[in-house]
Amino acid sequence: MGIYMLRRLSQSLLVIFGVTVITFFAMHLGGDPTYLYVSERASNEEIVATRAKLGFDKPLSVQYARFATGLVHGDLGTSLTYRTPALAVVLKRFPATLELTLFALAIAVALAIPLGVLAAINRGKPLDGGIMLIAMFGQSMPSFWLGIMLILSVGLGLRWLPISGRVPLLDPLFDGDVETTIQNLPLALPYLIMPGITIALFSLARTARLVRSSMLEVLSQDYIRTARSKGLSEFRVVMHHAFRNAQLPVVTMLGLEFGFLLSGVVVVETIFSWPGVGRLVFNAINHRDIPLVQAAVIMFSLVFVGLNLLVDLLYAQLDPRIRLR
Amino acid sequence: MKVGLGILILLVIAWITASVLGKHTRTNSSTPTSLQAKTLTIAQNADADTLDPADENNISTLNVARSLWGTLYAVSPTGELQPYLAESYNYADDGKSISFKLRPGLKCEDGEPLTARDAAYSFERAADPKLKFTGNATGFVLPALGYEGTRVDDPLTFTLLIKKYNPIAIGLISEMLIECQAPYEKMTKEQAATHPVASGPYKLAQWTHDDRIVLERNPNYTLPAPPYDRIVWRVIPESSTRSAELIAGDVDIITNVAPDQIDVINSSDTAKIETIASTRRIYVGFNQSPRFSVTPGGRAIQNPAVRLAMQYAVDVPTMCEALLRTPCTRAATMVNPINDHTGIAAFPYDPDRAERMLDAAGYPRGKDGVRFELTMQTQWNMYGDTDVMLAIGQYLTDIGVKTNVQMMDASVYRPLVRQRNAGPLYFQGTGGSTWSALYDMSDLASVDSGTNYTNWSDPEFFAGWKQLENTRDPAAQQGILNHMLQVFHDRGPWLMLFFQPDIYGVSNKIHWEPRPDEIITLN
Repeated sequence: MGIYMLRRLSQSLLVIFGVTVITFFAMHLGGDPTYLYVSERASNEEIVATRAKLGFDKPLSVQYARFATGLVHGDLGTSLTYRTPALAVVLKRFPATLELTLFALAIAVALAIPLGVLAAINRGKPLDGGIMLIAMFGQSMPSFWLGIMLILSVGLGLRWLPISGRVPLLDPLFDGDVETTIQNLPLALPYLIMPGITIALFSLARTARLVRSSMLEVLSQDYIRTARSKGLSEFRVVMHHAFRNAQLPVVTMLGLEFGFLLSGVVVVETIFSWPGVGRLVFNAINHRDIPLVQAAVIMFSLVFVGLNLLVDLLYAQLDPRIRLR
Repeated sequence: MKVGLGILILLVIAWITASVLGKHTRTNSSTPTSLQAKTLTIAQNADADTLDPADENNISTLNVARSLWGTLYAVSPTGELQPYLAESYNYADDGKSISFKLRPGLKCEDGEPLTARDAAYSFERAADPKLKFTGNATGFVLPALGYEGTRVDDPLTFTLLIKKYNPIAIGLISEMLIECQAPYEKMTKEQAATHPVASGPYKLAQWTHDDRIVLERNPNYTLPAPPYDRIVWRVIPESSTRSAELIAGDVDIITNVAPDQIDVINSSDTAKIETIASTRRIYVGFNQSPRFSVTPGGRAIQNPAVRLAMQYAVDVPTMCEALLRTPCTRAATMVNPINDHTGIAAFPYDPDRAERMLDAAGYPRGKDGVRFELTMQTQWNMYGDTDVMLAIGQYLTDIGVKTNVQMMDASVYRPLVRQRNAGPLYFQGTGGSTWSALYDMSDLASVDSGTNYTNWSDPEFFAGWKQLENTRDPAAQQGILNHMLQVFHDRGPWLMLFFQPDIYGVSNKIHWEPRPDEIITLN
């Protein structure tokens, strides 16, 4: 196990290094970023001076070497836009994205698993058709459209929920202030519901379909027939014998789904004015704030790598036949 | 057991739902009217980058900054330069220094007196090369002033030293935010970016990045202040969300309303649209760079007669009405109408005339109906509507100038323009002013000027600047300006379009009028 983890970690370092190289050079493909950081009326002399201040006057290899040296020392540079350390800017926004992602994942899992199981045990019946129709609808609907429709109907029409914004929930928790988190919970939930549903719907649909197909595969196995012939109740057969084995691919999928949700919330964060990392990175790319993009990419890479590792370990726990070498 | 668990779960869900919906309803209905009246909420599409007064660089940031810091002089909505923290100024005879007399009794946020030393420090800090500022003050105001240094004459008088007489100096100085030396001396650059110490009517109460900036009244501000106790600057990037928040009554002013939202807001009971022609000049640039003269189209637009002909091809008022859903008048020169005393009329829409002029210039239509081809580069969704750029492309194609519109991302397009490599045609807007024709013309202050994105080099136009340097007689200056603008009109490098209509949504609960210079003031 230890050797396996060590090997995976060293592979991960290589991945992260590769990601930083590609991001760095890709960000420079669009030309000199200096022009995005000077007044529109700046003279040529000022542009030259600003280029030197920002370090863009050096060859790309030197710039990358400087970044890599900083990285080794835990310094990812200063955001060109916010004039503060890039990693701190990203970490400050991370709780908002994490909280939205966890909420969306909770909605998706809580609904997708029972729906998928229900569809599988009612295969070919109207209930199965109905659930799969909803799943297809969920996967086909673009999040920007759904988000705006929710704002117009639930937020503006019915006035049931706030249209945009956020009340911090995880930020005080990360600062060790549990009391404020509890106090903020009822205030924060209304803000989470619409963006949470918007993100969750696609994931819900995909996961429900996966649960269904995985359950169908397991339900056709001989040991399920044996369980039924022993006279076990259908509930026990489905939940204890079938679902337990059907959840393996679902767990793998959920690990990836979490990463996908975490990095894919930019549209929803923009529509609902959610101050998360997705919007931050989108703006940073537009402003070619290279240190900030690099910091965010490294953080997301670490999260992805960590999640994949976690899923692998969980996999071995769920299925004793699997041994990590 | 299982039934009991189910009931418990249902009760928990019911409690959460009730508390969630109840909370929201309470928030909306029980806010006291008096508190609402004293809080103004404004939604912009972007957050402030930094709250360091020496490093501000974009309009979203500057709007917030102007509530936090005062300036020596300020521009009124109608373009007059009015005393603010200073009560008067005096130009030296040689024009190389300007002395400012501060108002007595000014204070910083921390209660300490705001003196001439603080005003001088504001300039010195922005100019300090060690601090590596890249904002508007360091990158534009100080070089444009010809800043040389400062001198403190007495506690209320400081003198700004400049290289030579500068006729637009006071206007430029209205962009310099005045900060207090003592707290800023102690702060690192990173601390200064997030911990402002105000000299203006408000102080920072809360800054949740990308969400909101909350300002509270600065109790140590001694000048007349806006009537609001709190100003909340919310960040709502999506236009339709901003509109929904306005109609729902959660915000009072929204900026950058998308044209398709105008009718929605106007037909609501809670808000209305306010539009104003801003000082930003929108034009299509004819890039004269030799790199484009290798193509027939690039060569053609080097010919002033061709550029003049193309001015008649675009129906600007119809385009504004149909695509921006806002009336606009076509710009006649590069100077805002308030300071344009040339009497030059805007080009009318006359495609037949354009065609005749192109024929006469030696560019007849070919067998395929095309005279020459051009590429027009532009940024996605620049200044409101992509359709405007596509329409311009079609208008030019209609007169036989086949125009391919090439849209690109802002992060690619803006550097391209700034390097003067966009083109041969490019779509652009450039900020102007209400207080000086010279400021508007300074886009083309010299052939090498950073904002001469077209590489235009007409000797007669640029000779005008030399003549202006040698006269201080206002009538003679106006004569020179008028001649330069006539040259610009007849053979200039801009296909003149319009002054950008700024569209705001305003709650019916308040009375507020926009300014043409994109600044949001609260008085």
